[in-house]
Amino acid sequence: METQQEIIKVQKLVKRYGNFTAVDGSEFSVHKGEVFGLLGPNGAGKTTTLEMLVGLRKPDEGTAIVGGFDISKELDRVKEVIGVQLQSTTLFELLTVEEILHLYGSFYPEHISIPDLIEDMLLTEKKNSRIKGLSGGQKQRLAIALALVHDPQIIFLDEPTTGLDPQARRTLWDIILRLKDRGKTVVLTTHYMDEAHVLCDRIAIMDQGKLIALDTPSELVKNLQSDSAVEFKFNEEDVDVILSEIDGVKQVGSQKDVHVLYTDDLQNTLMSLIAIASEKNLKLVDLQTRTATLEDVFIHMTGRRLREG
Amino acid sequence: MRAYYLLTLAQLRIFLRNRQVLFWTLAFPIVLMVMLGSFLGNGSGISLTVAVVDQDKSEQSKTLIKELEKNEAVSLEKSSEEKSVLDQLKNGDLTLVVTIPKGYGSNLTSGNKADPFELPVYYNETNMAMSQVGLQLVNNAVDTISKKQLDYQPLVVTDSKGVDALNLRYIDFLVPGIVAMMIMSNNMNGVAGQISSWRERGILRRMQGTTLKASTFIAAQITARFMLNGLQAMIVLAVAWLAFGIEVRGSWLTVIAFVTLGTLAFMAIGFIIAGIAKTPESAGPIAGFLSFPMLFLGGVFFPIRDMPEFLQPFVQVLPIAHLSHALRETMNVGASFLDLGMEAIILGGWLIGAFIVASFTFKWE
Repeated sequence: METQQEIIKVQKLVKRYGNFTAVDGSEFSVHKGEVFGLLGPNGAGKTTTLEMLVGLRKPDEGTAIVGGFDISKELDRVKEVIGVQLQSTTLFELLTVEEILHLYGSFYPEHISIPDLIEDMLLTEKKNSRIKGLSGGQKQRLAIALALVHDPQIIFLDEPTTGLDPQARRTLWDIILRLKDRGKTVVLTTHYMDEAHVLCDRIAIMDQGKLIALDTPSELVKNLQSDSAVEFKFNEEDVDVILSEIDGVKQVGSQKDVHVLYTDDLQNTLMSLIAIASEKNLKLVDLQTRTATLEDVFIHMTGRRLREG
Repeated sequence: MRAYYLLTLAQLRIFLRNRQVLFWTLAFPIVLMVMLGSFLGNGSGISLTVAVVDQDKSEQSKTLIKELEKNEAVSLEKSSEEKSVLDQLKNGDLTLVVTIPKGYGSNLTSGNKADPFELPVYYNETNMAMSQVGLQLVNNAVDTISKKQLDYQPLVVTDSKGVDALNLRYIDFLVPGIVAMMIMSNNMNGVAGQISSWRERGILRRMQGTTLKASTFIAAQITARFMLNGLQAMIVLAVAWLAFGIEVRGSWLTVIAFVTLGTLAFMAIGFIIAGIAKTPESAGPIAGFLSFPMLFLGGVFFPIRDMPEFLQPFVQVLPIAHLSHALRETMNVGASFLDLGMEAIILGGWLIGAFIVASFTFKWE
């Protein structure tokens, strides 16, 4: 953040699958030493964007400069400066942790000390175990160790904590924050709000292949211009209420039958809502209030939630 | 270079740790070889089962039985009941039935030369070939006795000299076929299954994200598979040698050269299948579709010349036909690599052609 040096520059990346445009002209830059998050629901184009940046998919249009090298012309050089952890990677299950790290280390001109790496990734106890027998969290830490084996400047992590239990997620967060402390640049995708908030210096929100917002987590929330959110359902269907006319409401986000009101004056909004409900004989269900989060930013921008259901 | 070495080592470790695959890929050819070899392996001689019903029970009848027993090809059964052995003959359990009627001994001693004694020999008309051989043997025995009786001095005798030619048994034919079969299935089916499954599980994609070159990966695959195949072929040959005394008459180098050529050609075909197959589940049936006809038509179990005429042109282009033929010529006859130039060229053609196709169909993901 202090240097603001651009280490990744994405220029109008487009990827199409038949008629479907998975990534539609994304443009953004990643600064050296920051943790950059790509946030969005499933199918938003996060993974496709990341896979184009690491050279696993060819962009149909546009290009990107990663670590000073063009991904469409100097892919081999790019691969030397990046480390990759792919979504749900399986590895050679019959090899041990130590063996596979030595193997992946040999794919690069140079690699760092394997025992140190094992220690760093909290895998010392498991170094002689076969990959088959590792837990989900251990497998994910091994996948990150494999991404770090050649000491890359930039590390790409595709949904690193999906499917992990809360304990394992926190362990992984610590590891990612330590990488940042060592001056590594980390680009990660996630659909967890809390994760993006804790880890990321800046967040790019993607939806339906388009980049719809890019800022620090606190700025994104601030742009909602509201502190609080009121969430509720009506018990009845086809309700004739204009929610934006309730006192203090700045924005309305609704999805199916769940309504969210954004307000700076929580007390006023609540009283007004309850008054209208009693006046029209409506029953409020699942009423809750909270401070606005990144989730609300997303709902506000797209009218949908990050994770359906 | 280090990546090549470590990838080869990793692949060998995966083979060795996958005990079940290791065991069954080796057990199948060995069990098949031992079973077929034991049942059919020594089937070159003819064995005749002849029953003798001795109703005479004289000195002379015993001489005749002894004469019949002299022939190694005949296994003789003595019986006293003519009716039951005739039933056995009808059922095909016996080849011939010889009855020595009462009065045989006395007739011989009385020496009535004008009117020879008639010895009834029953045979099964439905099995003429075997019956003819059997009748010939009985005739010989009877002839010997007649000559002795007459103090016959032969004017001309045949001097039969057995030439120690290649006495090939079925097992000699079978062992090189089994080795060829093993090379085919381990490489073609093995590569197709493993590569398509690694692709499905994203293992190949992850490696594509590194600076590893595809050529290094493929070279290591070839090396590891070749080492494993070589070892398995040696084990099969050792079992064949211990169990059936099969030896390699030709040069080991020629055998190794053809094992190498076969391994590479079938691996290349395996890579094509891995490229075509959309899922690991479909790789198996595709490989099976190719390997089954080759197993039965390619001269693994039966000689190619026994195939129907219309299949011949098809059979002659199968890679396994040339691999099994080349191995057979080297092991059985002792042909040199130069004698087998044609086989080497055809296998080489398959190898190059398949690698070209594989390079177009191969996908990392």
